[in-house]
Amino acid sequence: MSQPFLQMRNIRKRFGAVEALKGVTLEAHAGEALALIGANGAGKSTLMNVLGGVYAPDEGDILLGGQTARLHSPLEAERSGIAFVHQEMAMLPTMSVADNLFISHFPTQMGRIKRTEVLDACRAALQRLGCTFDPRVRVGDLSPGDQQMVEIARAIMTDPKIIIFDEPTSSLTSREKQRLFDVIGALKRAGTVIIYISHFLDEAFALCERAVVLRNGETVGGGMMGDLTYARVVELMIGAQNASADREQQTRQPGAVALQVEGLRREGVLRDLRFSLHKGEVVGLWGLLGSGRSELLRSLVGLDPIDGGMLRIAVNGELRALPPGEARRWMGIVTENRRDDGLLLPMPVKTNMSIANLPELIGRIYPFVDGRREASVSQTYVERLKIKIADLRQPVRTLSGGNQQKVIVGRWLQKAPLVYLMDEPTRGLDVGAKAEIRAIISELAEAGAALLVVSSDIDEIMSISDRYLVLNRGRLVAEFPRGASKNELMAAAAGVGT
Amino acid sequence: MNRRLRNFLLNYGFYLVMALVVLYFAANSRNFLAIDNLFRLANTAAPSIIIASGLALVVMTGKLDISVGSIAFVSCTVGLLLILRQGVPIPLGLLIILLTGALLGAVNGFIVVVLKVNPLITTIGTMIALRGVAFQLTEMRAFSIPEPLRVATNARLGPITIDIVVALLAVLAVWYLHTRTPFGRQVNALGNGEEVAARLGVRVGRVTFLTFVLSGLMAALGGMFLMFQVDSINSQLGEGYEFTAIAIIVIGGISLFGGQGSILGLIPGALMLTIIQAGLNFIGASPFAYPFVRGGIIFIAMYADSLKSFVRQRGRFAEEEGDEGIRLTSP
Repeated sequence: MSQPFLQMRNIRKRFGAVEALKGVTLEAHAGEALALIGANGAGKSTLMNVLGGVYAPDEGDILLGGQTARLHSPLEAERSGIAFVHQEMAMLPTMSVADNLFISHFPTQMGRIKRTEVLDACRAALQRLGCTFDPRVRVGDLSPGDQQMVEIARAIMTDPKIIIFDEPTSSLTSREKQRLFDVIGALKRAGTVIIYISHFLDEAFALCERAVVLRNGETVGGGMMGDLTYARVVELMIGAQNASADREQQTRQPGAVALQVEGLRREGVLRDLRFSLHKGEVVGLWGLLGSGRSELLRSLVGLDPIDGGMLRIAVNGELRALPPGEARRWMGIVTENRRDDGLLLPMPVKTNMSIANLPELIGRIYPFVDGRREASVSQTYVERLKIKIADLRQPVRTLSGGNQQKVIVGRWLQKAPLVYLMDEPTRGLDVGAKAEIRAIISELAEAGAALLVVSSDIDEIMSISDRYLVLNRGRLVAEFPRGASKNELMAAAAGVGT
Repeated sequence: MNRRLRNFLLNYGFYLVMALVVLYFAANSRNFLAIDNLFRLANTAAPSIIIASGLALVVMTGKLDISVGSIAFVSCTVGLLLILRQGVPIPLGLLIILLTGALLGAVNGFIVVVLKVNPLITTIGTMIALRGVAFQLTEMRAFSIPEPLRVATNARLGPITIDIVVALLAVLAVWYLHTRTPFGRQVNALGNGEEVAARLGVRVGRVTFLTFVLSGLMAALGGMFLMFQVDSINSQLGEGYEFTAIAIIVIGGISLFGGQGSILGLIPGALMLTIIQAGLNFIGASPFAYPFVRGGIIFIAMYADSLKSFVRQRGRFAEEEGDEGIRLTSP
């Protein structure tokens, strides 16, 4: 076997108290594609940012072609022949393809751009990728697949020896995906090292010769693709621990349908979803980043516009159509980023708790809010949720993450909605606070509410859910009962046949 | 509405309206379409076009500079007073006008780029402050320009005045800069989003700074021709021109969101504005109606801009043929 072109040895990287990489070793060979696999937070991005010169490692060596490389800035990495195709494309949509490729380094003569030279270079790069569009067209007019090709063209124009693809297929159609794979195949034949990061295992198996699996900042396995199976890779990703070990055992009997969703569509995001939520039931919405989880919650409650579909809500035991705009009367949403779109940070706890319920709190003189009632209602929920505050007038900003999240929950409790939508309700909380939020979720369900909960933490979602819905690229691909295994959930979300 | 029709109207609706307006005025007044009159209109519009050509670069980056009217006033005051009181030779005095404009633009650029103050607030501040400086210098009095300069700047070739020629050259020069040089392309890149531009290696601060310098320079040049047109400076010089220039820019199809439009659009934009104003005059409308009509035009142009910029920014997993999602019903 040939000498690997790229060797990363014992790479360690620490951010504050968190050790993101605990001695990762990785090798990649010229003319081969290496799949870098791992769950969210396994350290893939950190590792690739080390290779791309964005982060300096605390320990460890990087060897290129057998020689130690200095990669202290993105520019140095680029000069050493490392190119990065980011998941988030950097595009100038109102400008031409040529402008996008040359914006920082136009060749000039007497201050004037050498247009023919630029266009020729662009055409050559696009031709290598099998693209037929003209470099003079506006990037904004191209399809996402073609825009991705522009991003790749930008990467290959520097003639790199290593190209890192970070989730390159997340916005592509199957045909565009095929074209991308053809391009990667051609790059491999030309002797380039490909490092391919993807959540989709089928892509990794179709495309790559070799794999490295990371878990919690460590290399936990890998090898030739031919020697691996889906099951083995999933096992490596999530670890061998017992899938149902920390399950909080409680059995709830779901009641009548609370919310029925039929044919919910949002162009390019959600595709013809149908499902229902029952009273007294916690449904875990599982899926990878970008599968449309948050978008589904936002669409249900009317924060994002939808292109079609029908919602029915149970009112007095009868299902009736829910016109858009009225959703907020029946549903409470806990959004993903509480600091950005969940809370008014500099405002008092009281205001944050009453904000969704002000019409109910108006006193005798319209439209003034009855301050005393506002305070007493807020106080009730502060006590009920055991929110630790010194004073109702304390700014929410000064609370801990767990208490902030409880303020949001308390806000909706006041309105007593039928359906709760929670997007990553425990993100960024410590273990104790997480447990408290989970307990609140259980209580809500026992009190008869229907809950749809998104979480990226598989252990957490398995500990709270009575049922699972699995999303993949905006489609519901699977539904599992409470007893589903971790492997089943992982495999379904990764698009491995259901 | 049919999509093609809608796109056509969005792209060419402006010219349609312009043609209708011209026809309306032509039908309702004599001599409106006379060649002489058209050139007179162009001459009137020339200083605003010059001011707009520099300001347009700032707008292309997605920012605004509303101090241009005051920069015009101060620069002309400084130059003319040096000529009248210190005996500075006229050509040198004119050069000083331009340099003062560029310098004041650099002050704006410094505040925006280095001190990181919001550009709108920055230039509102300099707009007010600079006008005050000019009041101080002139003590609110009017000054006539020297006789030789008056004669020279009134030179004309038939109906074509120097003002028209300079305005055309200014537009062409800025257009060339915008479309043919790396700087111009990077101006557009900033308008697409400064973070993206920075990630692509554009030196955002430097480009922003230069756009403000050029905006100040062109404001001074435009102000110079305002001064030539009335053969003097007075305390109203350049007043309100920031908004005239912005109106020309928006009507000319340059997006206030940045990154879109052509500098050449300034010419039809300016003509439209001037024609409507002159047309109202021709049909004998009350002069008090002018600001109202002008405001209306600016509003409509901005509304069209925001319609055009409402790009569908939705994500997308394009439909894959023949593969229906698994439909789920609950148990």
